Parts: sequence; C-alpha cells; structure tokens
Amino acid sequence: MAKDRIKVLLAKPTLDCHDRGVRYLMRVLRDAGMEVVFTNFLLPQEVIGVALQEDVDVVGISSSSGGHMPVLEELRALLDAHEMGHTLLLVGGVIPEDDLPRLETLGARRVFGPGAPAADVVAFIESEVGGKETRHAGA
Amino acid sequence: MWSDESLRQSRETEAKWSDDFARISQRFGVKPAERQRVTHSGIPLKPVYFPHDIGQIGWNDLGAPGAHPYTRGLYATQYQFMPWANQPVIGCGLPEHTRQRMDYLAAQGMVGYFGNRFYNLVYDLVAHEGLDPDHPAARGRIGQGGMAVYSKRDMATLFEGLDLTQMNVVHITYYQTAPAFAQYLAYAEDQGVPWEKLRGNTMNWYHQAAYVGMSCFPPRSAMKLAVQLIHFCSRRMPQWNTTNFFGYGVEESGGTAAQEVGLMLAAGAAYTEACLRAGLRPDEFLPRFGFQIAQANDFFEEICKVRALRKLWATQNRERFGAKDPRSMHVRIHTHTSGAVLTRQQPLNNLIRTTLHTLGAALAGVQAMEVCGYDEALAIPTEEAATLALRAQQIIQEETNITAVSDPLGGSYYVEWLTEQVGAAALEVQRRIEEAGGYVRAWETGLVRSTVEQSAYEWREAVNRGERIVVGVNKYVTEKEPPVPVFRVDPEVERIAVERLERLRAERDQARWKAAMEDLRREARAFAAKEIQDLDGDYALIETLVEAARADATIGEMMGVLKEHLGWGPAH
Repeated sequence: MAKDRIKVLLAKPTLDCHDRGVRYLMRVLRDAGMEVVFTNFLLPQEVIGVALQEDVDVVGISSSSGGHMPVLEELRALLDAHEMGHTLLLVGGVIPEDDLPRLETLGARRVFGPGAPAADVVAFIESEVGGKETRHAGA
Repeated sequence: MWSDESLRQSRETEAKWSDDFARISQRFGVKPAERQRVTHSGIPLKPVYFPHDIGQIGWNDLGAPGAHPYTRGLYATQYQFMPWANQPVIGCGLPEHTRQRMDYLAAQGMVGYFGNRFYNLVYDLVAHEGLDPDHPAARGRIGQGGMAVYSKRDMATLFEGLDLTQMNVVHITYYQTAPAFAQYLAYAEDQGVPWEKLRGNTMNWYHQAAYVGMSCFPPRSAMKLAVQLIHFCSRRMPQWNTTNFFGYGVEESGGTAAQEVGLMLAAGAAYTEACLRAGLRPDEFLPRFGFQIAQANDFFEEICKVRALRKLWATQNRERFGAKDPRSMHVRIHTHTSGAVLTRQQPLNNLIRTTLHTLGAALAGVQAMEVCGYDEALAIPTEEAATLALRAQQIIQEETNITAVSDPLGGSYYVEWLTEQVGAAALEVQRRIEEAGGYVRAWETGLVRSTVEQSAYEWREAVNRGERIVVGVNKYVTEKEPPVPVFRVDPEVERIAVERLERLRAERDQARWKAAMEDLRREARAFAAKEIQDLDGDYALIETLVEAARADATIGEMMGVLKEHLGWGPAH
C-alpha cells in the first residue's frame, strides 16, 4: 500500500547537546501533516538502519557542534549502497559557510542554518517530495 | 516597608497617572488592554510600578546584601573589594592549544577570586560521550567544542608548570564527571599535591539529562554517581565544589526564567534529599553546590530571576532541609550569557547582546561570568572574539562605576515586584514537578523535557509571528553580510590525538592497567546493585576510578565500563 504522507527522519548526533532547533522542527513538520521519526545517533549506520526500517522519503541531519562532514560523507555512501540515493538529504544547524560546496557534492540538497524559518523547510520538502498528499488542517 | 498613609498616597498617585495614561492612549488610538506586555515567562507587566505594588514586602524579606534571605546578594561586601571572577570557557584542539588560550587570556587580565588563576576548561565532544579519539564516532569531533584531553598524561600536558594549589580548575564535562575527576586527582598525586588542597569544580550535573538531548546514565544510576562524588568530596576535599546546577541549559533549551529557577529548585531538592539519605548533614555539602545561570534577553526578568533564586534557595535550604550554615543558603552563581539568543545573521550585533547580558548579570550581582563570543553562533570563538568577551566584563568592572554600589536595583518598585512574581512562578513550576513525584521521577517520565519544550515551541512561534523580535532574523534583515573570520580546529589535531592514544596504550604498565580495569569492572557491577543509602562512606567506585587513572586508563575505557554496568542512552 502506498504511503499517503511524507515520511521524514530527523537525526542528531548524541554527542551534540543542541537539539532545540531539531525538536522544534519535528513538531512543525508533524503539524504540516508529515510523519516524523526522530533519533539520536552515534554512528551514521544507525541513521541508515532507521531510514531503511521506516522507509522514509527525507533524512535530515542536525549538527551544531561540528563533526558533520564525516557523518555526511559516510551517510552518502551508505544511502547509495542501500539504494536510497533518491532520499532527500537535508542538513540543519551550525554549519560553516566554507563547508557548503562540499556538502552539496555529497548530495545535501539544502542546508538550513540558525534562524532559518521552519516554514521554508516544510515548503522545500513539499516541493521536492512530489506526488504525495500532505494532510493540512481541514483538508 | 510603607505606612498605611504612604500606601494610600501611592494608590492615589497611581489613579492620577492612570487617568493621564488613558487620555494619551486615546490620542494614540490605542486600547491599553490590547497592548499588554508580558515577560518571557509570561508575567503580565504594568506600564509603571508604585510603592503599593510591593506593599506586602517587609524589610526583613529584603534584608541587606549578605543577610538572609540573600535576595540582595550573598556577601555584605558584594563587589566592593573584589568584582566577579572572569570565567571564560576555554577548550579547543590538543591540550597545548587549550593551554595557549589559557595563558593568553590570563595575560589579558582574566582573573578569578582573590587574584587567583581561574580556568574554566571544557572537554571535547568525544570525551563528553565517554569515547576515545580512535572510536569511529570521534571523527570530526576531536578537539571540537572543547579540549582533546582523555588521560592523566593529557592533563600533564595541559597543566605543565602550573601550581595546582594556586588555581581553581573547573572541569566542564558532561556525564564523564567521575572519570575526568579521577584523572585530575591522579595527576595531582603525581605533582605531590594533596587532594584536600585542590580547588575547583566538578559538574556532576546528571540532572540536565532531563532536558538536554545527550546520552546519559539512567536517572537512578546517575543520582548514585552524583551522591557518591558529593559524599567523597564533602569528607575528603572540603574546598572542592562538587555540583553545578545547570539552569543555563533550561533557558538555552527554550525554557523560561521561571522554569529555570523552578526546575533548579526541584533538582536541588532531589540532590539534597539523596545526600541526606546517604547520611550527610545539610551543612556538610550544601555550601559546595553552585549554579550556572543564563543571562538572556529579557533584561529585567533575567535580573529578577537571579534575585528570586537567591531568596528561594536560601529559604528552601533553611526551612525545608534545616541547614544552618549561611554558606548552605548561598546560591553561588556562574553566569553564562545566553548563546541561544545570539544570531548567525549580522553577527557583530551579538557583541551588543552579550554586553547587555553582562550588564544584567553585574546588576544582579553574580559571582562569576562567562560571556559568549560574538561568533558563538558560527563556531568556537576566535581569539579576537574571546578577548572582546573578556573586555566587556573588564569595561563594566573598571570604567562604569557599576560595581561601586551593591544591589543597585534593590528597592526599585518594578524590580522588587518582578522578583516576587518570578519567584512565585518558579515555585509553581517546582510544585508541579514535586507533585508529579519529584525531579527524578519527572526526569524519567519526560515531564521536565515536555515542560521546557513547550516553552521553546511557543517562543519560536512568537518569533515566526513577529511578536518576538530578533534583529537581523525577523526584522531589519539584510541580504548581503560581510563574512566574519571563523575559528577552525587544525585538522592535524585528530591524527595527533589518535597517535598519542596509541602511544599511551603501548607505553603504560600493562599489568597495572589490567588489574585496575578488572577492579573497576568489579566495583561498577557492585555499584549497580547498591542503593543511595548504601553510599554513606562507600567510595569504592571513585577509588577504583582513581586507581585506573593512575594506571593511565583513558576516558573511553573508564566510561565504557560504567556504561556497561550502569546503563547508557538518550533520555527521551
């Protein structure tokens, strides 16, 4: 049976205490009608495990204490290896500007920095993950 | 404080003012009820305050600086002879890089209590997670957000040539408090320094796992670790500050000022009760509790929060727990200016924000401060940003005459009224937590987390609606911003840290290390089966950690054993 809702995995390294943004985003995405799974992870393999199990359309990695580059490098390789290359990959948190080109080559479609409106994240996901209905209030 | 006649005149004065206010409101075409201002905690504000607003406060409620209930400050002298201590958080790269920053800031006039050196040192993310630098999850995180110190040998590099008896060392850990402390004790021994001469702080702040999203020991294990450390230090190292109540994390996670105070009162009560169960008397350990408190954007509420906390903590410890020593009533506060309200957008604006936070903390009368670098929303502060953060403190301390008078806002109708209100709201937060079974239970059930998270949500929604202004983010937005320099940890740090770890493992006394680790495993297993009341004078686990540290065991090795036997994982 086809899923009727966009399914998003938000993941944050357990080493990173800054989870206020990602937990807020979790709620906003849910309010926008998406199904959201949240997990802390130590290694990128754990993210892939959940992504496969939950069959998600979107993987969002939150990182605000550095260390995002090795995570994204490994995640890219793992997504490709598990035939999940099509999954929309997003990054949020404190990411130095110099890292943006490299993240783009790793297939991170958008990086949302501090203060980025959550509505932009919703709109971007909706525009990228086509063919799915989202359940808006009253719809 | 006021005679009936004064209060009558005060009400009369307000009535006259109220007429004027209504008339002018009309001229502006404004209905005052629609313009109700509230604090960040949601306390509705009047446009102006009068004596009768604080008519119920008696002289004894206020007292003097240094007198119960300490609303006006902990000490009679306050900043007269010694201003607050500069406590910038330091930690980046290898131990020698951190040491460089320590020496640099000391040369720039960073000073602690009584002219002593004061080092507020933060460990890196790898150590925080209880890992060693060769763990796969360490990649990209070694020396990030803190110093790459994992062993007694790394500590020797960090402190080389420094006299441990002439300085305070704050060890900012997450939940690796006990192993890092054990390494410091083992290092002190090597230097011939008796433990009781050491001064400084351990964090011991497992309670923050209730609202901060990092992995931790489960609450019941965590409380036992906390109590054992407190018990040990109370008996063996009376100068050591055992525990830091992390109010800062409440506000940074999105909580309000009232929640910060209320949750810390509840967490403090839980720690106190646990220590009493383990056979300590209140005055044996309460004087060595400290607080890290945020100073964020709601200027007056943040000041009043500090004043309210001083009063409520003193009252709680005296009336509920029977403490008698004045030091048991003291809320010794290390202010950390808010990082969460700093913005990546127009980053130099953060200098203005942090200066206001510093001013607020100075007016509130705190004991020590860490002021954020203006580039904190981008990366670890550069040396320039760290220097400016220190200068903000020094300018207020030495140019403005602000330190000349203690509790300079005391007696302000508004400030005294708001202090009462924030205090009442905080007590309500505490009451809800305690009615739900107390802080530890509310940590387990997620009640603490949901309390804070709801406030975070409301704040962000208010920003989205434009009701809360964040300059540069939802108002006065600029398209193009000139780049600011960003600090980067040398990528070589990773390779060197791993190399050092491998060398340590090869060079250490294998037999001694093996025996120490076996003892640690045995004691960790035994500790897991103990109850809090069994810990009266039982320091076996700490002692085996110290022996492991002597034998050059690393943070990852020691934490590995503790995690295995005590449990480990995300709180929620």
